[in-house]
Amino acid sequence: MPSLKDIKTQINSVGSTKKITSAMKMVAASKLRRSQEKAEAARPYSSRLEEMLSSLASSAASGEGIIKLLTGTGNDQNYIVVPVSADRGLCGGFNSSINRETFKLVKSLEGNGKKVQLMPVGKKSRDFFNRVMKDQIIDSFVDLNVSSTGYESALNISNKLQELYFDEKFDKCILVFNKFKSAISQEVTQQQLIPLDVSSSEKEEEKENSSNAIYDYEPDEETILKDLLPKNVSIQVFKVLLESDAGEQGARMAAMDNATRNAGEMIDSLTLKYNRTRQAFITKELIEIISGAESI
Amino acid sequence: MAKISFDLVSPENLIFNDEVGMIIVPGKDGDLGILPGHSKVMSSLRPGRVMVYGEDKNLLKSFFVSGGFAEINPEKCIVLAESVEELSSLEKSLVEKEIQQLESQNEIKANEQLLIAKAKLDAINFTFYNKI
Repeated sequence: MPSLKDIKTQINSVGSTKKITSAMKMVAASKLRRSQEKAEAARPYSSRLEEMLSSLASSAASGEGIIKLLTGTGNDQNYIVVPVSADRGLCGGFNSSINRETFKLVKSLEGNGKKVQLMPVGKKSRDFFNRVMKDQIIDSFVDLNVSSTGYESALNISNKLQELYFDEKFDKCILVFNKFKSAISQEVTQQQLIPLDVSSSEKEEEKENSSNAIYDYEPDEETILKDLLPKNVSIQVFKVLLESDAGEQGARMAAMDNATRNAGEMIDSLTLKYNRTRQAFITKELIEIISGAESI
Repeated sequence: MAKISFDLVSPENLIFNDEVGMIIVPGKDGDLGILPGHSKVMSSLRPGRVMVYGEDKNLLKSFFVSGGFAEINPEKCIVLAESVEELSSLEKSLVEKEIQQLESQNEIKANEQLLIAKAKLDAINFTFYNKI
């Protein structure tokens, strides 16, 4: 039977944990709003760029140079997988689901006889893959802090990827990240970054083609496409980073909300236990006094 | 007089969105002046100045863009630029310092930045288009 003092200490410590988790929830909520705004602000740029690209994609006939970002290398042997996780924990299943999904993807690709390399983004996935697949990591990016550094951080990643791509280190690049669905739910998503997957926007493309057919291009279609493709890779990375950032804050908010509620329940049950113990103690003392008085 | 709607978009936000009288953008093959009713053009941009004018050709705003794309149709002009700075916020001495630093590095990557920085300096120095 724990003493009254023990229970009291326990209540206090759970109480301070509750204070911390509820503060973290508040912080995550305000950060979530900020990252949502950022993601919102990036949308016009990326959607415009995609529109332009889809109207130009048809003109990419040859598979030389930069155009390879669109048409692919023609091979299907070497993969690079980029899991995008958070730098910090305490956000529920956010990081572990990314790691699990990536691990599964890598295993299934390897099962098909492909060579897979990894380029983790975020401390949590870097640490995880450092433990399980250390020799497959070619590079990693941590402490990106996308909501304050902005586009710069996405540029670093996309430049590195393109450098590797043109050195023919890989044929396909797949991003694994948490897609922000709502403040409380994220969905682990895979997206093929290189070569560009235009099939998903095919329907739009047809629609676009009819209206874009009469555009004049300056200097010419191919030059624009050559400028456009690397930018598109960067903006896709940027979009993914922002989504993941918003998702992280959302996940943390939900996790901390749960923790706060659990702490509250724990305090309630501990308080009940405390009161019962106190009551029992008083009763015991009374009995002792009464029986003492009776025996005189 | 007719107006044309103009959007200046960077990856991080929408910088300008309004109806204007005329825009000058730095096309890769030369500057493009865009008036309402312009034919449909898609152009890539070199680093340079984007000038925005009101209906009576008074200069409203001027920006420096590090390159990007412009999509133009008779009603609308959209400029997508990776980095956008308002010209009035640029400091000549800072840009000059940046150029000096980049020149001493002598790397391929720095080279690209150097071109942009030099274009930035030009943009600050040049005054044509300020009044038309």
